[in-house]
Amino acid sequence: MRTLTPARLAAWLAVFAAGLCAVLLVGVAAGPSGLALRDVLDVLREERAATAAHDIVFGVRLPRVALGALVGAALATAGALFQALLRNPLADPFVLGVSGGAAVGGIAALSFGAALGLGYGAVPPAAFAGAVLTTVALQAVAGVAGRVSPTHLLLTGVVFNAFASAAIVFLASMAGLQEGARIFVWLIGSLSSARPELIASVALFLVAGLVCALPAARQLNLLALGEESAQQLGVDVTRLQRLLLLATSLMVGAAVSVAGLVGFVGLIIPHLLRLLLGPDHRLLLPTAALGGAAFLVLCDTAARTLFGGRELPVGAITALAGGPLFLWLLRRQQQRAFAP
Amino acid sequence: MSAATPALAFEDIALRLGGRDLLRGVSLALAPGEIVALVGRNGAGKTTLFRVASRILRPERGEVRIAGRPIGSLSRRELARELAVVPQDVGIPFPFRAGEIVLMGRAPHQGGLGFESADDLARARAAMEAVGVAELASRDVTALSGGERQLVLVARALAQDPRVLLLDEPTAHLDLRHRTVVVERVRRFVEEGRSALVVSHDLNLAARSCDRIALLAEGRLLACGKPAEVLDAAALRATFGIEADVLAGPDGAPLVVPRRASPLNAPSPTG
Amino acid sequence: MFRPASRCAALLYLLLALRAGAEQATLPRVVSLNPSLTEILLALDARPALVGVDDYSARASSEVAGLPRVGGLFDPSLEAIVALEPDVVALVPSAEQRDLRARLEALGIEVLVLENHTLPQLLASIEALGARVGRAAPARERVAAIRRALADAERAAQRRPRVRAVLVLQRDPLFLVGRGSYLDALLTAAGADNLAAEFPDAYPRVDLEWVIAAAPALILDASEDPEPAMTHWRRWPSLPAVATGRVVPLVAAEVTLPGPHLERALAILARAVAGE
Repeated sequence: MRTLTPARLAAWLAVFAAGLCAVLLVGVAAGPSGLALRDVLDVLREERAATAAHDIVFGVRLPRVALGALVGAALATAGALFQALLRNPLADPFVLGVSGGAAVGGIAALSFGAALGLGYGAVPPAAFAGAVLTTVALQAVAGVAGRVSPTHLLLTGVVFNAFASAAIVFLASMAGLQEGARIFVWLIGSLSSARPELIASVALFLVAGLVCALPAARQLNLLALGEESAQQLGVDVTRLQRLLLLATSLMVGAAVSVAGLVGFVGLIIPHLLRLLLGPDHRLLLPTAALGGAAFLVLCDTAARTLFGGRELPVGAITALAGGPLFLWLLRRQQQRAFAP
Repeated sequence: MSAATPALAFEDIALRLGGRDLLRGVSLALAPGEIVALVGRNGAGKTTLFRVASRILRPERGEVRIAGRPIGSLSRRELARELAVVPQDVGIPFPFRAGEIVLMGRAPHQGGLGFESADDLARARAAMEAVGVAELASRDVTALSGGERQLVLVARALAQDPRVLLLDEPTAHLDLRHRTVVVERVRRFVEEGRSALVVSHDLNLAARSCDRIALLAEGRLLACGKPAEVLDAAALRATFGIEADVLAGPDGAPLVVPRRASPLNAPSPTG
Repeated sequence: MFRPASRCAALLYLLLALRAGAEQATLPRVVSLNPSLTEILLALDARPALVGVDDYSARASSEVAGLPRVGGLFDPSLEAIVALEPDVVALVPSAEQRDLRARLEALGIEVLVLENHTLPQLLASIEALGARVGRAAPARERVAAIRRALADAERAAQRRPRVRAVLVLQRDPLFLVGRGSYLDALLTAAGADNLAAEFPDAYPRVDLEWVIAAAPALILDASEDPEPAMTHWRRWPSLPAVATGRVVPLVAAEVTLPGPHLERALAILARAVAGE
């Protein structure tokens, strides 16, 4: 039986990194304004400012592609971590209500920010605060003596989500017409807010989350045996759960605060990669990050280019692509369960 | 460690959980090289005792020592190197291969980046061969039968290379052949100087294959000793609430033949 | 018993009261479910006819702030409306209100459905609403004033080259004024070449890239973001509008509400297009 060696890991990472680079190039080269590839490469080579091509490549496409990659990586990695934490391959970053908390924070900022004199800039920090607060509340409610059981966590998360949905509906119904459109787009998920300033903060939180999670990959494997068995193999399960919740709240909070509730990335990518590469988290976590980045950039490129000058929110594309895919995966899962 | 120091010792363990007294002053010592069977009714406290030994639960009173050292003084990983638990069947949600599951048993011995060393691979392979599941190494563990999975978990515990093995009903899903294989393998394990504590509902198998039997009822240890000495009608009534005949088996080990359940107002064993 | 002079006075008084009462009687009890309709009624001096308004109208105008409220645009309360015993309920049709409309009509309450999406619709609505509340003449005058302003603006615009422009309703997500709405008509009358009219919908959500490629010479920014418009659009300096400093912030309430004083919005747009 072949096991994961450093060489194999490096090889797969190289493949995925190359794929991501190719996708990034496609993202920068593609767009509705019909710039020729040559023009794009010219612009990338020379720093000639104040041409439309320059503004399009550096002012629109590059930030969006960069943000898309970061958000996709964050959501996919968080998805893999949630699946490990809840011991359920069909969990996603939104199931525990962390994203619901972020959404409430962001939408509250959208609804009341104008009244308080804050601009759109208030949304990311508010959403992030919402995500972190929800994680803390989750642990407080679902934990017993510091430890959470996956079932309690899941049920508590479902209730949190329901509560967040109600809060969002309430806020949205009180909002003005303009905010209503913005809230809707935010709930579906969109990368249109890409700005260089936001990119830096998302990158920071993604890296922080990865730094927490990647070294724990081997322990995550052990968690598959159950919490007791993992504990008996030397894993400090309480500490691991806290670490996971911290890492995921950082990553999900940052991603949702900037892009809204982009669905299916956190569910599909880890699940697909697990089918392809096996469930070993030492391989799954880094490839989920790279694969999630590529997937979201591809979806966003489609969202930007499929309809002429008009733009669809990227969450619509991930749902269109991810929905059927998810159903297919679910069927496979069921077929397995009933296989002799 | 001198020959007299028990490999695993429970000293007056008392545990209260959810308002109930699960263990009421249990004292039990495992000598190196012996297999002790832990028997009793459901809810008697057998699994609870395991959880105390592996530090999942903390007792209100008493101490557990492994090779003379209190388990509280060991780090989690150190304890994992000394003590391995084979649980009842666990649901594994992800499609790990059987070999990967067995390799997980090496985790307490691995440091650094967590890539398996050649030694880890060799031990895992040996453990799988010992239990007879070597050819299942590349198979998806979720696709195996319950019995095969149980054997994989036994192999994992063996790969962990512990001083003491705790097995929670290891033969539950196994056919007669695999049951016999497990018994043989555990015997060979303890012959190397280690110890095993086995929870079993198969009383006759326990009587034949274990050095001592410990009878647990309602959190109390009723008796612990050689099967022939400990298993009699009164003890069986007190432990299991059954009326049974105890016969002498062909190999000298006692054979328990249950007749019927005891009446409900039989004297309580704790009375 | 009474002396003739006081009898005359009494009769005069009675006649005046009757006349006032008659006027009062011609004013129907109106519930308005849309701020633009409320504005129209206020502009036509029909405030006494209003017995109830929606939440948005109440928030938008202090004149009706004291009136009973019947709910939001998308969820008005049938009960609250009926409790006010209206003669007519005026609304702008939308998917959410279709059900409400059917139920009101089933209860025998007259529903006046007024479109305000295109310019002709808006003008027709002003006249229709005016006629219904007994203010037909003021309504016709209002519409005539708007038409005069439009004609004047078009004449002035013909003397200048058309300015390539976009009207931004919201920055993020980016919503522009497209083709067909009254705003598009106002823009065109003001002398602008609405670049976003190539999109068939009225308020398309557009990729920023398209705007940069379209290179408008004038950006009319009616979004309500505290960040100044020029600061925002300066991020893409290749835009001709940025290079020449022709990024004009607009107050949304003054320009984008489909109200009875379109000539004011037209004047603001015309000034911006002319570069004043």
